[in-house]
Amino acid sequence: MRSSKPASVQIRRRDRALPWLAPALLMLAVFYAVPVLDVFRLAFSDATLVRAPTAYSLETFSDVLTNAVLPEILLTTLIFTGLSVVVLQLVGLMIALLLVRGERRGLHGMAAFRTLVLAAWVVPGIANGLIWQMLFDEAPYGTLNSLLGFVGVGPVAWLSDPVMAMVSAIIANVWQGTAFSMVVFYAARRAINPTLYEVASVDGANAWEAFWAITVPQLRLAIAANTILVSVQTLNTFDSILALTGGGPGRATEVLALFTFNTVFYNLDLAGGSVLALILFALGLAFATLIFGWLRREAA
Amino acid sequence: MTKLSFATAFFFSVSAVSLGAPAVAQDLVTRTMVGLPDAPNTLTFRLTAFDLYSSDDATREGFEALFTDFIRARPDWKIETQLQTANIGQEQARILQQTLAGRGPDCAMIDSSQLALFKENGVLQPMNAVFSEEEVADLFPYVREAVTNEAGEVLAWWWFTDLRVLYRDTSVVPDAPQTWDELKAAALAAAGEGREGILFNGGRWEGTAFDWLANFWAQGGRLVDDDGEPIFADGENREKFLTAVAYVQDLVESGAAPQRVSSIVNYDAFNAAAAAGTAAMFIGGNWQYGQLRTTLPPEAFANWAVSELPGPTADDRATGTGGWTIAALTDDPDKAALCGEIAKEIYAGPGNALQGLLPTSASLYEQYDAYDGPEFELFAEALQNGVSRPGAAIYPEISNQIQILLGEVLSGSADPETALDAAADAVRAAFERL
Repeated sequence: MRSSKPASVQIRRRDRALPWLAPALLMLAVFYAVPVLDVFRLAFSDATLVRAPTAYSLETFSDVLTNAVLPEILLTTLIFTGLSVVVLQLVGLMIALLLVRGERRGLHGMAAFRTLVLAAWVVPGIANGLIWQMLFDEAPYGTLNSLLGFVGVGPVAWLSDPVMAMVSAIIANVWQGTAFSMVVFYAARRAINPTLYEVASVDGANAWEAFWAITVPQLRLAIAANTILVSVQTLNTFDSILALTGGGPGRATEVLALFTFNTVFYNLDLAGGSVLALILFALGLAFATLIFGWLRREAA
Repeated sequence: MTKLSFATAFFFSVSAVSLGAPAVAQDLVTRTMVGLPDAPNTLTFRLTAFDLYSSDDATREGFEALFTDFIRARPDWKIETQLQTANIGQEQARILQQTLAGRGPDCAMIDSSQLALFKENGVLQPMNAVFSEEEVADLFPYVREAVTNEAGEVLAWWWFTDLRVLYRDTSVVPDAPQTWDELKAAALAAAGEGREGILFNGGRWEGTAFDWLANFWAQGGRLVDDDGEPIFADGENREKFLTAVAYVQDLVESGAAPQRVSSIVNYDAFNAAAAAGTAAMFIGGNWQYGQLRTTLPPEAFANWAVSELPGPTADDRATGTGGWTIAALTDDPDKAALCGEIAKEIYAGPGNALQGLLPTSASLYEQYDAYDGPEFELFAEALQNGVSRPGAAIYPEISNQIQILLGEVLSGSADPETALDAAADAVRAAFERL
């Protein structure tokens, strides 16, 4: 729709708005844009943690992108992120629907249940890793293995087997991140018009049919938005893995964010770490663009 | 004053003294500070979690008392404490980077293996005002060389050294294994009795590389040459490296060691296993002897003994020696002096004796009764075969690659030769970028 205001009035209004927006723009520039630009600058340099850049070239990009370990790291990241995002969405959705249904039926303890799930969200990543490290301890007196032993299962090599170590890292990540998905889906589910369910009920639809015909289609924008947010969060996860497995055994749980951290703090390679940070940034951006594109097509 | 009012006043005075005094003593040491918050001068001190904030009650209380006495004698100062995590390599790199950027702590504990890197970067400030020439001369030669520069300035104080030894439950393993074969046989016999035969660090952390390196060094292997260039995967060193990897791989594959060793990333895991009575042997640090003494019931502790790490033959032995230093990173001479005083008055000497850590000055062994035990004779003997990590900038990455290699081999996801080639390539690439 075209504006009915003359162009000169619009320009005057924009000029008047700029001074009011300037502080916010300045803050954004200082705290977000400058560090990101500095990562770009360092990626083209030969900087180490103990030496300022002495030259600028594409050599660091070439070294990092031809590193034989990178494909393995990217595959680990893909598995960790992909499985985490799927499970986070499913568990978050299940808890959100459980809460909504429980509240609708006036069940006691729903607020306590919601608080309990949210409590895991505020636990710092390092603490999360340490908590699960104690639970997954494979010693004969380890918590989970002892419990499994009572029912005649196990022991399970939670952290010493490469495949199980990945499963353990995903469990720890899901335990902490579920609350976020739950909040997103809970809010979206509450916003669905109850009349739709009433009509479906009159038409004889059971709960399963109502879920697929009403809930899922109505939640698809929330699912898309949550996928972006949870994916970016998971891509950047390294602290809980650092505390839980350190990336091991071997490189079995060394995701890109942790590899970036190790490149900087073990190799002291600030330039290499910056290139890896840019790869991480590009992956997150590409994924977000993909989902946003889909959202815009849906909106249209 | 009437009799009643005097009695009342006396009661409240006694109550104030008896209740108030401990409260004041406790308040002087908090989770983030030593001293009174309104003291005019502040020193920031980044320390490890092994002493003042130790999870061991006796150690923590002992250091709280030492720090309380120290700060009471200096009421104009407060010490803001900053804890380092157990991830030594990354913590040390962060301290160095922050110091170079002008945001580092005034005083910090520096791992002895990282000291050369800090010296190379010129961030350590002299603490000569605190340490006399006699005190410097009394340091063990390798320690003195590490903490001083060519001008004879004291750039750090290496306040304790340590070494790795073999712990064994003598009720299961009566005789100390002298060779790798003897250790495997003893561990298998213990495993047959339902115990975990031998435990060692095998997860992704510095302790794994350091403890395993004793097996490489026992054969005369070298990680870097005199110029600090990595040579561990070349020529004879390659054979020795693979032999040492095959030794620990065989321990796991034969069942002498449980597979869970590849997830162990903390020496405390061994104390826990000893307390639970599930392990027959473990490779630990000498400091754990004191911890076991305070953790285990006396009758259980009496079963535990230490011995030198076994070698490929009884004559070829080595043990990794490490320890921590305290160094001033500030250019304020008063703060640098206070940092040195912390090292001298709290840690070197009383702090060593409190934890049973090995002092780096010969005279301190005579000064404290804590070093009268027979275990210290064993430690002194084992130190003859002590090898310290190379003071080369590439060491942290070599350690990182050894951790990855051992994790992959012990979990069965790579064979030793392939893993060594990958490690060598990664170290070479990192070295070229340094």
